[in-house]
Amino acid sequence: MKGISFDLYPGEIHGLVGENGAGKSTFIKILSGFLRPDGGEIAVHGQKFHFLTPHLAQSLGIQTIYQENILVPQISVAENVFAGREIVSALGIVNHRETIARARRIIDSLGVSLPVEERVENLSVAEQQLVKIARAIAFEPRVLILDEPTAMFNVNETRMVLDLVKNLAQRGIGIIYISHRLEEVLEVASRITVLRDGYRVACHNHVRERVDLATLTREMAGRSVNVFQREKGAILSEVVLAVKELRYAPSSPPVSFSLRRGEILGIAGLVGSGRTEIFKTLFGFGRSYGGEIWIQGRQVTIRSPQDAIRYGLGYLTEDRQRTGLALGLSVTKNATIPSLGDHFGGFLIPLEKERRLVEEYVKSLDVRTPSLEQEVRFLSGGNQQKVILARWLLKNSQIIIFDEPTIGIDVNAKSEIHRLIARLAQEGKSIILISSENPELIALCDRVLVVRHGQIVRELTGDEINEENIISCAFGVTAGERL
Amino acid sequence: MVIVVLSALFGFLNPRFLSQGNLLAVFQQIAVLGIATMSMTLLLISGGIDLSIGSMIGLSGVVICKMVMGGVPAFWAVLTGFVLPIGCGFLNGVIVSKSKCIPLIVTLGMNYVYYGLALVISGGLFLSLKGHFTFLGRGRLVGIPVSVVVLFLVVLAVHFLLRNTKFGRRLVVMGGNEQVAFLSGINVDRLKIANYTLSGVLVGLASLVLISRLGNILANAGEGYELRALASAIIGGVTFEGGRGSVLGAFLGVVLLGIVQNGLNILNVSSYFQTFTIGLIIVVAVVVSNLEKIRR
Repeated sequence: MKGISFDLYPGEIHGLVGENGAGKSTFIKILSGFLRPDGGEIAVHGQKFHFLTPHLAQSLGIQTIYQENILVPQISVAENVFAGREIVSALGIVNHRETIARARRIIDSLGVSLPVEERVENLSVAEQQLVKIARAIAFEPRVLILDEPTAMFNVNETRMVLDLVKNLAQRGIGIIYISHRLEEVLEVASRITVLRDGYRVACHNHVRERVDLATLTREMAGRSVNVFQREKGAILSEVVLAVKELRYAPSSPPVSFSLRRGEILGIAGLVGSGRTEIFKTLFGFGRSYGGEIWIQGRQVTIRSPQDAIRYGLGYLTEDRQRTGLALGLSVTKNATIPSLGDHFGGFLIPLEKERRLVEEYVKSLDVRTPSLEQEVRFLSGGNQQKVILARWLLKNSQIIIFDEPTIGIDVNAKSEIHRLIARLAQEGKSIILISSENPELIALCDRVLVVRHGQIVRELTGDEINEENIISCAFGVTAGERL
Repeated sequence: MVIVVLSALFGFLNPRFLSQGNLLAVFQQIAVLGIATMSMTLLLISGGIDLSIGSMIGLSGVVICKMVMGGVPAFWAVLTGFVLPIGCGFLNGVIVSKSKCIPLIVTLGMNYVYYGLALVISGGLFLSLKGHFTFLGRGRLVGIPVSVVVLFLVVLAVHFLLRNTKFGRRLVVMGGNEQVAFLSGINVDRLKIANYTLSGVLVGLASLVLISRLGNILANAGEGYELRALASAIIGGVTFEGGRGSVLGAFLGVVLLGIVQNGLNILNVSSYFQTFTIGLIIVVAVVVSNLEKIRR
């Protein structure tokens, strides 16, 4: 981080944006006392410091809410709110009634409802986020730093958090709001600071009038990034996959759709709408409760991922780190798992041949890694995603399902992934793209199916694929009515 | 590195330590443990564990002796004793993979099951081979103890298996992330059962070497092998979380334990103090390797 100046007024929401690695986290860590700056000054309410310690930051009223979960799942909401400074009687015994009452007061004052006595593990992710905020508020902070507070949320939950943030600012708390979702930042922030490569590249003091998405994107990336636009034409090739009345749960509505060779089929819908479940079932790792699957004109039965892979399906899961990669293993080992049996007959792996094959795909996908033996945990998100893609290309999968392929990936890597997806379709692969990023769907897809309550509520084609249509179908609002 | 330094140290303190005869004796002493460690390494790298190894050895030994004492030809007795742990491994694998329980707990329970069976069969008595079947434990091939030859063959085979075969690679990936293995089309259940069965084969071998060397046996003859095998593998850099570590590392772990034990013997250190020392080595080795991880 190189010479950043930043100021924050009481009751202000100051947005902080930048690509991964732009210096946002370093900046927060300095403010919350976990890192010492090499130089410069921090002034809090007129008091000047060369550096802060976590304890000092806290006593100055600086509270930070990180993305990571800091709650203890097995104890109640109230106990979490006061964890570390329990309310005790003279004898040092925890006063449960008082704890609950005070936690309830704090939560009520936030204007949200939470079951105070419930254990945290029984709460939704969004509710847990609210508990974190309540916990920070219990310290009566003057400065509140929120790091990606809505990263895992659907639109409704995001709404709730945004309203809460505005409400807190009105109480006079200065808020630093960090998010990759630029639309949100534009909505809540009164000022926005843009970081890039550790520098402050811009500070917009009048957000409402003069700043838009394109400006922020350009400043963050340092150059004008066009959202990659794929050329679309009529897809008249043969149907490679037809799904008829598939059910992923005993009570779920039947789902039918088809996919052609070289087509990119988008799947839109809110998180929790059942869109992922449909494709998990298709891939054989969710149980099927009826329905038919036809691949290349033949009806098939898929009972396990093994079956699905044999019929030419490949799946890039939404959670790269947990279900996509064996993080401690090398690029090579991660890439060749499903295809070990294809390229090399017999019992042995010819290691030299394996290396050459992987190298070929690493080159063609432009995976940036120091070596093929590098543990994938050390690669960036975009490169990790490419390793998983290499896995299915090595397997020669014809139908590739991408589930949120660009989640948590920085702007430039995102557009690279988009180009790769387009290239694959060009080369005759059939793509299913499940995504919450509407611009991604709009830029890439030939058709978009919108899923709501486990059901395909609408098929959008051509010019119908736009943000308004996707959102209104996903939320079930009729045309004209706005959110 | 540590091994070289320690060897030099013991050699300095007592020149007899470095004699060819003594070094062979070290390997002969660690043959059983070494083979058991290879079995444990296979399981650890694939994300499993088996705490019933020791009882499987005891059970196999007891059955062999009981059959020999009952007049069964030694060949059939030994064959039975070899196949028995394979069956035990298979059973462990089936329970672990089908019940989705934590292998640590399942095999801890099975440890008692097998030990109990061994006690029932032996009636708690000392059983003897009556002088049959000494080749594996006491024989020599061109001057080298047969058990040492077997040990080296097993180490090389397991090393090759994990590095160069599809089966081995799938084990490594399963240990690295079982979900990923499953989603990549690996039949995880079947692979686990195969692996537990294979580790049963190695336990069978270890058991034959042991009984052949001892010539007589109690039901608890294998007691503690599971934990020492686990410790050796971990000293050698194999981790509890799976996916990491090498066969050669685990082998060096065994050698280290063997050298320390032998060196202390030669220096006339009491066996009580040896136990203490070995425990210390295990803890130090694990802490040191973890310090490196923390620093990164």
